[in-house]
Amino acid sequence: MANLRRPRAAAGGLGRRRSLTAPAKAGALVRLLLDRFGDLATDLWTDEDTVEVRIDGARNVELLKALRDDPDLDFFYLADAAAVDYGVGERFEVVYHLYSDKHPAWLRVRATVSRDAPHIPTATGLWEGAMFHEREMYDMMGIIFDGNRDLRRIYMSPDYRSFPQRRDFLLPDDAADSSAAGVKPLERPETWDLSRLSEEQAPGVVAHAEGEA
Amino acid sequence: MTSEVRIPDPLDLDREEEARLRAAAGLAPATPTVRDYAGFESVGLPDRPPQTEREREVYTLEEGEMLVNMGPQHPSTHGVMRLVVKVRGEVVTDIDPVLGYLHRGIEKLCENATYTTVMTYVDPMDYLASMHNEHAPAIAFEKLFGIRAPRRAEYIRALVVELNRVFSHGLMMGFLALDMGGITPILYGFINRDEIVDMLSAISGQRMLFNFFRVGGVNFDANDEFFSRLGTWRANVLKNVEMSERVITDNEIFRARTIGMGTLSGKDAISLGVSGPNLRASGVAFDVRRAHPYSIYPELEFEVITHSAGDSNARYLQRIAEIKQSIHLIDQIVDKMPHGPVQAQVPGIIRPKPGRAYGAVESPRGLYSVYAISDGGPNPYRFRMRDPSFVSLQAIPKLMPGHLIADTMAVMASFDPVMGGVDK
Repeated sequence: MANLRRPRAAAGGLGRRRSLTAPAKAGALVRLLLDRFGDLATDLWTDEDTVEVRIDGARNVELLKALRDDPDLDFFYLADAAAVDYGVGERFEVVYHLYSDKHPAWLRVRATVSRDAPHIPTATGLWEGAMFHEREMYDMMGIIFDGNRDLRRIYMSPDYRSFPQRRDFLLPDDAADSSAAGVKPLERPETWDLSRLSEEQAPGVVAHAEGEA
Repeated sequence: MTSEVRIPDPLDLDREEEARLRAAAGLAPATPTVRDYAGFESVGLPDRPPQTEREREVYTLEEGEMLVNMGPQHPSTHGVMRLVVKVRGEVVTDIDPVLGYLHRGIEKLCENATYTTVMTYVDPMDYLASMHNEHAPAIAFEKLFGIRAPRRAEYIRALVVELNRVFSHGLMMGFLALDMGGITPILYGFINRDEIVDMLSAISGQRMLFNFFRVGGVNFDANDEFFSRLGTWRANVLKNVEMSERVITDNEIFRARTIGMGTLSGKDAISLGVSGPNLRASGVAFDVRRAHPYSIYPELEFEVITHSAGDSNARYLQRIAEIKQSIHLIDQIVDKMPHGPVQAQVPGIIRPKPGRAYGAVESPRGLYSVYAISDGGPNPYRFRMRDPSFVSLQAIPKLMPGHLIADTMAVMASFDPVMGGVDK
């Protein structure tokens, strides 16, 4: 029961490094990855049916293409692509989950993206189906996929200017964090801090809107 | 020779009146609008410059082309979605799906909920596969927390999940026929669904949003009412499925409107991320139940069914085959079901150690997966859901150019998207 009282970990320290003694299931895949991408993949990690590698965001296409086209690896199916925000001052991650017939484990590729300049090459050249995933990541997190020819909002309206799944996104009625902490802000609209919603220069959106005028 | 009598259109009168007033006021004549050419307003043209290359491509009209909105309240979009369809006459030349009308931010809600209450938020996502929606987070959270559900709980999970698949596929058969004008099959589909839903309501207490799965087990054990309803249903189900099959499969109109429609090759389907029955109907044998076996599927006997044609008809036949397969699985599960507890011992507030876990299940629409990150707190740091209909929807703009407008609905229904899942 001791770990129930465990304090929340700092945002940067998520996840435990486990040793490379992978379960027998994924052992062959881990060896293969170390052999092919020893210099590219900075971190290897496994759990019961997932093998994970961490790479620099700028080299994601290079690695994903190799993983897809290498006949021994043959990760032909992009199961999922999602973004994770590790908070202000930290980083974004674009996380790809890949599937291969030849290996009994999911492969998770975590590509690190800088939070100040959130740019990463697009994977739509490898899988057309990455389009909606990337549009969603752009919409929710504001990550810009260089080379994506349809990078616009998918859920929010086109003139929306913020990114709602970032960790520092606050709703005006988020009582715990707003200047009106302690009162019910819905009853007191004058306490809503709307300025940050209208003035914040969302990366990408403004450039798009002005480029076509 | 009779003189030509022109009956003025009231709208034209308005225009003439406007032109007269403008001339009297010394203003320039009004510029002609789309209405002057087409007879009605062209809709869907955004009043802002296009943001991307693709958007410019869709919204640039050539001679003879027109944009038509299908939705957001169109009955055949199976929810609230808008398709901006570019047409030349009756022929579709391009499609731009516009999503977000049903976006509730479920991922964000789940990140503010505890691991137990997440199960209530994911239910209304893909509302025809609520059991599957709960299964994937349950798997991911159990991996995070490092526990396993008792064996009886795993059997009950597999049972309810397969029941859910049967009624979801049954409804798909009905909706597909409904979108082509056949009203009868959907009634059979709903009769079948009601029997299963009553059964699931006996076990979970809810008819639609079951809230049945728990981290480390299920909420209730299977009771007598459940098994009694299951027996009654099982006695008649094959006969009923064959009955609706007879109504649809060999119908001449149905065949004409599905065979060769929306043909998706296996290669394209993989590239587009299409999964589930839609992918298997294109000849790719990818079924998560076999590819990454979870729950008790390694103990059950079944083959991954595929069809090779890849058209709407193949997707329909794939569903029928999977209904029968699921019934076969249900038989096996009931035969083998062990006794025992249905819930592992877990604390009231679950705080997994920091880590990441990926849980994937085969939902009626395909690969439904959850990627959960824990930071040691009582709620997930990040909760990501991959919904199969969201990804499969990308096939529609790829398949439809060259088909008739009326076939757009028929092909879309064959993919069986559910907007609750698409919009999260």
